[in-house]
Amino acid sequence: MKQALKIFGFTIVVSVFYWYVSLWVPQKRTEPPEDIEIGANLTTEEMIPIGEEIVAGKGTCLTCHTMGDHGTGLRFPDLAGIGAIAGERVAGQSDVYYLAESMYDPNAYVLEGYVAGMPNVARPPIALTDQEILTVIAYLQSLGGTPTVTMDTQLEWQGQAPASQDVAPAAVGGNRDAETLFAAYLCNTCHTLDGTAAAGPTLQGLGGRMSKAEIYEAIVDPDATVTEGFVAGVMTAMLDATGFHEQVSASELQALVDYLASL
Amino acid sequence: MLTIDRRSWMLRIPLGILVLVLVALCSESAWAAPQEADPEYRALPFISSRVLMWAVAELHLMFAAFVLAVPIFALVIEFIGYKTGDRRYDQLAYDFTKLLSVSFSFTATLGALLTFGLIVFYPALTQYLVKIFSWTFLPYVLLFFLEAFFLYAYYYGWGKLSPRLHLFLGVMLNIVGTAIMFIANAWLTFMNTPNGIDEMGNLTNIWEAINNYIWMPINIHRIIANVAFGGAIGAAYGAFKFLGAKTLEARAHYDWMGYIGIFVAICALLPLPFAGYWLGVEIYAYDQSLGITLMGGTFSWLFIVQAVLIGNLFLAANYYLWLSMARIPGAERFRGFIKYLLGIITLCFIVWATPHSLVATVEEARAMGGSHHPILNVLGVMSAKNTAVNLLILTTYVSFLLYRRANKEATVSWAKTGNWVQFGIFAAVVIYVVFLGVYGYFVDAQTRIGLSQPQVMSVLFAMISVTVIDIFLFKNAKSRGEIVWGKISARSQYALFFLAITFTWLMGLMGYVRAGMRQHWHVYGVVRDTSVDAFTPTLGYAGGVVSAIVIVFFLLIAIVFFLAGLSGRKDWEPKSGSRWSKAEASAPIDS
Repeated sequence: MKQALKIFGFTIVVSVFYWYVSLWVPQKRTEPPEDIEIGANLTTEEMIPIGEEIVAGKGTCLTCHTMGDHGTGLRFPDLAGIGAIAGERVAGQSDVYYLAESMYDPNAYVLEGYVAGMPNVARPPIALTDQEILTVIAYLQSLGGTPTVTMDTQLEWQGQAPASQDVAPAAVGGNRDAETLFAAYLCNTCHTLDGTAAAGPTLQGLGGRMSKAEIYEAIVDPDATVTEGFVAGVMTAMLDATGFHEQVSASELQALVDYLASL
Repeated sequence: MLTIDRRSWMLRIPLGILVLVLVALCSESAWAAPQEADPEYRALPFISSRVLMWAVAELHLMFAAFVLAVPIFALVIEFIGYKTGDRRYDQLAYDFTKLLSVSFSFTATLGALLTFGLIVFYPALTQYLVKIFSWTFLPYVLLFFLEAFFLYAYYYGWGKLSPRLHLFLGVMLNIVGTAIMFIANAWLTFMNTPNGIDEMGNLTNIWEAINNYIWMPINIHRIIANVAFGGAIGAAYGAFKFLGAKTLEARAHYDWMGYIGIFVAICALLPLPFAGYWLGVEIYAYDQSLGITLMGGTFSWLFIVQAVLIGNLFLAANYYLWLSMARIPGAERFRGFIKYLLGIITLCFIVWATPHSLVATVEEARAMGGSHHPILNVLGVMSAKNTAVNLLILTTYVSFLLYRRANKEATVSWAKTGNWVQFGIFAAVVIYVVFLGVYGYFVDAQTRIGLSQPQVMSVLFAMISVTVIDIFLFKNAKSRGEIVWGKISARSQYALFFLAITFTWLMGLMGYVRAGMRQHWHVYGVVRDTSVDAFTPTLGYAGGVVSAIVIVFFLLIAIVFFLAGLSGRKDWEPKSGSRWSKAEASAPIDS
C-alpha cells in the first residue's frame, strides 16, 4: 500500500510538473470571431479601420500572411504595400478586381514563387460577407495606395456565397429556432424585416397582411401570388438553387410560417 | 472461493448498472427536452459540459488505446513463445492480457458515457453527425460484439485451447479491434476535415466522408501510438509488480516484463514522428489555414510543450537503458559512451524545445532587435528542429545498440570491418542530416519542407542497415555472461513510471490539439460552435485539464493493476478457529 501511494504521489508530481510547463509558455485565449456590424452608408474612409479589424480578426488573414516581413522563406505573400502594387500584378486588372479575386477565387492567379492553397474567404470556415470583403479591400488599398472602393462597388462574385451563418443549412436539424432558420435558409438574403427595400418584398408586418396559409403557399409555391413590383420566378429559382425543398423538414416549415406570421 | 473470473464479472455488474442508470437519466432529459425549446446545448451546474466531455472522451480514448494495443504485442509475444517453446513468453503474454478484461469494461463504460454526454449536452451536433454516419453504426455495434467475444475467448481460453486456435483468436481480436477503431476514427476525423458533403453540409458520399483527408493518417498514427502507449502502461505494470515482488524469481520476471513493455513502447515511438508528419501534410493539403493554425498560429506554443514531453521520453528511455546495463555482464565496456550520448540528447532536446519567438517586454524586444532573439531565432525554426529530432532518434538507437551488444563479443572474421562499416553509415547519415538542416536556411519554404523527407529516410536507412549488419555481426557471438534479470535499481522502475505518465500526458495533449485546432467549429467549416465554450482556452488551462485527466486515468489503471494482480494470489483460507473454519470442518464432505 505504501508503495502504491508513493507511485501515485510520483504520478501527481510528474503531472503537475507538465502542467507547470504548459503554464510557463505564453497564455492566450482565442475567442471566436465576432460579426462586425457594417452600415450600408459607410464612406471609404470609414471602411478602412473596419477592414483592418477583419484582417486581424474574423478574416484570419494574418494567420498566413505577414505584414512587413520581407524574409525569403515566407509561405504566403507579404501584404505590406499591397495597395501600391495590386493594380500592376495582372495586366488589365484593376487593384479592386485583383484584390477581390484574391479573396473570392484565390487560386485563379497565384504569385510566382508561392503555391496555391488559400481558401475562398467568402466560404466557411472564414465566411466573410460581401460587405466585409469590401471593407477588407479598402484596407488593403490603403496599404501604400489610395482606397477607391465603396460599399456600392459591384463585384462579379457577390451574392454567390452564403451569408455569415453559424451552421450550414443541412446541419440545422429540427431543433433550431425560427429566427436562426430564417438566416440559415438565406431568407434574409432577399427579404428584410425592417421595411427597407431589397431583392424581395420586405416581411415587416407580414402577419397583418397574410394568413398562415398564404404564407405557407408563398414559401412552397412562390409564383402562385407575386407581390406587385417584383418578378415572378426569382424566389423559385433561389429555393431550387439552395435545395430548400429537399432540406426543409415539416417542423421547420411550420416554425418558419409561425415566425413570419408573428411579424 | 472466488476466482478472478467471477471477480471481474462482479466488477462488470455494477458497471452495467451504472450504464443503465445513465441511460435512464439521459433518456429522460433527451426525450423531455424537445417538448420545450430544443436547445442546441445543455449546461451543467458546477462544471463546464465541454470540460466534462473532454475528460470523458480522453479517458475513453486512453483505455481504448490500451485495449487495442495490448493484444497486438501480447499476440506477438505469444507467437514467439509458441515458435521457441519457451514458456516464459507465454506467461509474459498472459500477464499483459490479464490487464485487458477490466480495461475493456472501463472502455465500454466510458464510451457509453461519452455517447450519452454528446446526446444530452450537444444534441444539435450529435444530430448532424448521426445524419452523416448513421450507416456506420450497425457495423460498429456488430464489431463491438465480436470484439467482446474474441477478447474474452482469448483471455479465458488461455491454456485451455490449442495454441493455434488461441493464436487465431488473438489475430481475430486484433482485426476486429482495428476495424472498430477505423470506424470511430472516421467520425472524429470528419469533424476536422469534413468530406463527402455538399456546400450546404448534406451528405453526398458516405465513403468520402469516412475516407476524409486525415482518416488514414490518423488510423496509422493511432495504431503506432497505441502500441507505444500500451507498451508503456504494460511496463508500468511490470514496474509496479517488481517493486512489490517478494521473491527473486518474481523480481526477475517483472523486470523482464518492464523491459519488454518499454522496448515495445520505444520501438513504436521511433516511427511515430514520421506518421505525425504524414498527418500534418494531409492537414495542410485539406486547408492550409487549418495547418498554419495548428503549427504556426494559435497552437504553435503547444508544440514547445510537446517537445519538452518527447525530449523527456527520449531522456528517460535512454536513462532506463543505461541503468539496465547494470544487469548485463560486460556492459561496463560501454559506460564511457554514456556521457557523450547524454550530451547529444541534451543538445538536441534544447534545440527542439527552442521557441521561435519570445514573450518579451518592449525594452527586452528592443534590446533583442525584435521579438525574435538573434540566436533563438536560428534554432527555433523547422530546419534546426527536424535535424535535432532526427539526431535524437539516431542517438537513442545507438543506446539500444550498445545495450544489445553489452554481453556479446563478435567472433566473425569480418568483425572489425563490420564495426567500421556501421560507424561509417552513422557518420555519413549524421553529416547528411546536418547538411540538409543547414541547407534549409538558404532555400525557399517549399524546398525546405521537402528536405525533411530525405532526413527521415536517411535515418531510417541507418537504423535498418546497421541492425541488419549487427544481426550477422553477432551471430554465434561469444557471451560474457547471461543477463541477470532482477538485478536493477528501483530508480529504473521509476523511470518506467515516468515514461508511462509522460506518454499518457502527451496523448492527452495531442488529443487536445487535434480537437482544438478546429477552434470555434464542431465540424470545421460546417457546424459552428455557438456555445459559451466556443473559445479556445489558454495552454495553461488545457494543461490543467490534461493533468487532471492523467491523474484520474492512473487512479483507474491502479484499479486495473489491483484486479489483475488478484489472479496471482493464493486462495483465501479461513483462520483456524474462526466461524468459517468451524463451519467448513462440520460441513459434510460431499457438500
